[in-house]
Amino acid sequence: MKQFVAALAVGLVLATPTFAAEPLVVYSAGPASLSSALAKAFEAKTGTPVEMFESTAGKIMARYQAEKSNPHADVMISASWGHALTLDEAGELLPYTSPNAAQVPAALKSDRYVAQGAAALSIAYNPKSGLPAPQHWADLTHPSYKGQVTMPDPAKSGSALTLVQGLVAQDSANAWTLFSQLAANDLLVPGANKAALNPVLQGAKGVVFGAVDYIIIGAKAKGESIEVVYPSEGTVLAPRPVMILKSSRHAETAKQFVDFLLSDQGQQLVAEEYILPARTDVPAKRPGWNELAIIDFDAKQAAEQATATKAKFASVIAK
Amino acid sequence: MPAATLTAGAAWQGRSLRPLLLALATLLMLTLIGLPMLAILLYALFPQINEWSLAAPFSALLPNLMDAQLIGATLNSLSLSLGVTLLSCILALPLAFRRAQMSTRQGRLWDALLLVPFLIPPYIGALSWMQLLQVNGFSEQLLGFNLAGFLYSFPGIVTVMALHLFPMIYFATSKAFAVIGNRYGDVARVFGGSPLQIFARIHLPMVLPTLLSSGLIVFVLTIEEFGTPEILGSRFGFRVIVTAIHEKFSDWPIDLPGASVLSLILILLAFFAYRLHQRLARRFSSAVENQSLAAPARPVSTAQRLIDLLLFGSAVTLAVLLPLLTIGVSALLDTLSGGLSLDNMSLRHLGGLFVRDGAAWAAISTSLTLALLAALGSVAIAILVAFTVVRLRTRGTALLDFLSILPNAIPGMAVAVGLILTWNQPFWPATPYNTPAILLVAYICLTLPYPIRMLTAALKQLPRSLDDAAYISGAGELRVILRILTPLLAPVALAAGFIVFAIASRELVSSLMLAPPGVETVATYVFHQFDQGSINAGMAMSLVTILVSGSIIVLGQRLPGSRQPEGKTQ
Repeated sequence: MKQFVAALAVGLVLATPTFAAEPLVVYSAGPASLSSALAKAFEAKTGTPVEMFESTAGKIMARYQAEKSNPHADVMISASWGHALTLDEAGELLPYTSPNAAQVPAALKSDRYVAQGAAALSIAYNPKSGLPAPQHWADLTHPSYKGQVTMPDPAKSGSALTLVQGLVAQDSANAWTLFSQLAANDLLVPGANKAALNPVLQGAKGVVFGAVDYIIIGAKAKGESIEVVYPSEGTVLAPRPVMILKSSRHAETAKQFVDFLLSDQGQQLVAEEYILPARTDVPAKRPGWNELAIIDFDAKQAAEQATATKAKFASVIAK
Repeated sequence: MPAATLTAGAAWQGRSLRPLLLALATLLMLTLIGLPMLAILLYALFPQINEWSLAAPFSALLPNLMDAQLIGATLNSLSLSLGVTLLSCILALPLAFRRAQMSTRQGRLWDALLLVPFLIPPYIGALSWMQLLQVNGFSEQLLGFNLAGFLYSFPGIVTVMALHLFPMIYFATSKAFAVIGNRYGDVARVFGGSPLQIFARIHLPMVLPTLLSSGLIVFVLTIEEFGTPEILGSRFGFRVIVTAIHEKFSDWPIDLPGASVLSLILILLAFFAYRLHQRLARRFSSAVENQSLAAPARPVSTAQRLIDLLLFGSAVTLAVLLPLLTIGVSALLDTLSGGLSLDNMSLRHLGGLFVRDGAAWAAISTSLTLALLAALGSVAIAILVAFTVVRLRTRGTALLDFLSILPNAIPGMAVAVGLILTWNQPFWPATPYNTPAILLVAYICLTLPYPIRMLTAALKQLPRSLDDAAYISGAGELRVILRILTPLLAPVALAAGFIVFAIASRELVSSLMLAPPGVETVATYVFHQFDQGSINAGMAMSLVTILVSGSIIVLGQRLPGSRQPEGKTQ
């Protein structure tokens, strides 16, 4: 009988709604292993559960847009800096500056959004292809690379668009000549990032112009025959913006989450994926801030001309 | 006739369910398909409808329709769809004809094999053809030749897509051939008809309605398909409308109203295809009176048997074995750059599927449960809709019929957006959104066209005299549907159910967009597991899905309904 009463008591206690914190809803672009590690670590630290919707950058944005009349997301982590610019322009972001953002370079933060980390754009080549090791963007216009170069399509890959924007901002005439020479060298623009990388890994092609570096470094770590090269004349970063949405019903928890993303622990999890941590004082597991030559350009201004840039790129490549 | 007059009263009473059935079918179709389609339409017209605002009406229309490349893309979409539909018919017809003459056991084996293409996601299929035939692909590594030139060409895309889609026509028409039975052919043979004559003059006209309606599905599916044109077409600058739609979804900026506007073009194309199909179907309509479902088996000569083996063997090799082998081998390759060699073989990717404790199994059971429910739900709704459209023929059923092909005409991403717009509204007292049920709603919406097409076509072949006889004997609608038509349609319903199951168990695009946080299906699990990883991992996932869903389908084929096409009336 005693046991029964005890069991009943335990049952009642379990049945009473516990006043656990409401879950924080985060929409995050891949890598999924990073998102779920962050969610778990945050929950362990604060006790607040995180409901993580993981998908591609395009799909989390599409879901957010389609949900607007009844929004669910509190925080978004995108892989495309342009998303932060667009949402900021539309006034949909909650202003917040995390105290942990002090060590994030000025170009990668504003009052409304901040980078979690960044990828650098690179040349990736397959040493098995027998091609000479490229060192500069323009090397790939050389006849020895004819028919061997692929590039992600700026219309389908935000990072490839950033590279085009950066090179054009650095030296417009030079950049467009470079692209038309690449086209003359039978550059293949097959689709998004993976579509450009796969033929190079499979040996059908030899080099990627504008590969997302941490994916290449990760593939190499898994034994793929692939090398990453950062041209000394400069490359661009593809930062991953973190945003709190104005429609969030858990703004305080959301701010805690952003603080956590930029904490030592959060940044180390970013480094584990071979992504460049946004904080310059957290060591990277790949070429770090002082080893990369970054082209400095106005991302906002470039974003305004994005449609024209994409169209021009398409017409230059089609020739 | 006197008997009919005598029992007319009872028959009329028995038919009182008519308006109710029509209302139920309409309600289901409008909720499952009509609402999301309406949402897409509204989004195209009112670009801020997502914020529940009618501001800036029509502002998205012109900028999106003014794109100079759109005409070319539309023409490409059309010619691709026509090409694939024609080639699929050419591939499927001889197989379906011979299938109807085979013994149940032998036929079942080929049926099981030809279901495999439905289990292969189109993009994985296209990637495997690339892996096989490209420069330095498997064929070059093993045999020293590549077919890259053919693969990256219009005929190449058409062939790859037709090899993937022709089973749709095969399943529908082989059931139709079976319904016709052998008697007509036997009669013709007695009168000295040659096999070709018998096929062209007797069987072909009789299966034409089924051929047309399954051809319509293939046409519409080709227009909507993204994977193959994206993967192969981008190699030679072949742009179709879906490619343009996906650019609006792919990275930045996201343009949902623009994608909805372009989806309207696809809806229009589907509409014209549907009208054309209707006109042709009216001209060539046929109903089989006096059918013999249990075709008396005729002895098959050894020569004929060899021809059958050659015919089915080569079809299965091209459409099933080659892709499957490529997928299997790719799944076993450690690195992509390592190529085909023994020391590059590893179980890493297959093993990698199961590293996260329990999560993989949870995803598999989620997917299988959803796929099973989707198959049951889809087929049940399809039987109701087919009955309403074919037998009731009241006003408005044509709209139902057209509505039923729309989900196949629009890319899965757009359908997913339509579903969010529909079900994420605060005014619903209860909603499937943000629960796993939204995936079920999505799968049923996306797969309904298959069973509806197959069942309406099959029902058109069943003579009305069957229903009339039952009505005269005092049966009501429900009784006619459940006791007479359903058993007769059982083989077709089961075949359609397998197709729905196969497609739902691997669906990726809308799942990626609609899965509530924390819920994973097989497809999204693997997509996440290997987000940035190699395509070998995707191949490993496909292999597992094909094996798991495939074995369930093989087990399902042993259900009594599929073995005895004559259907027991108990």
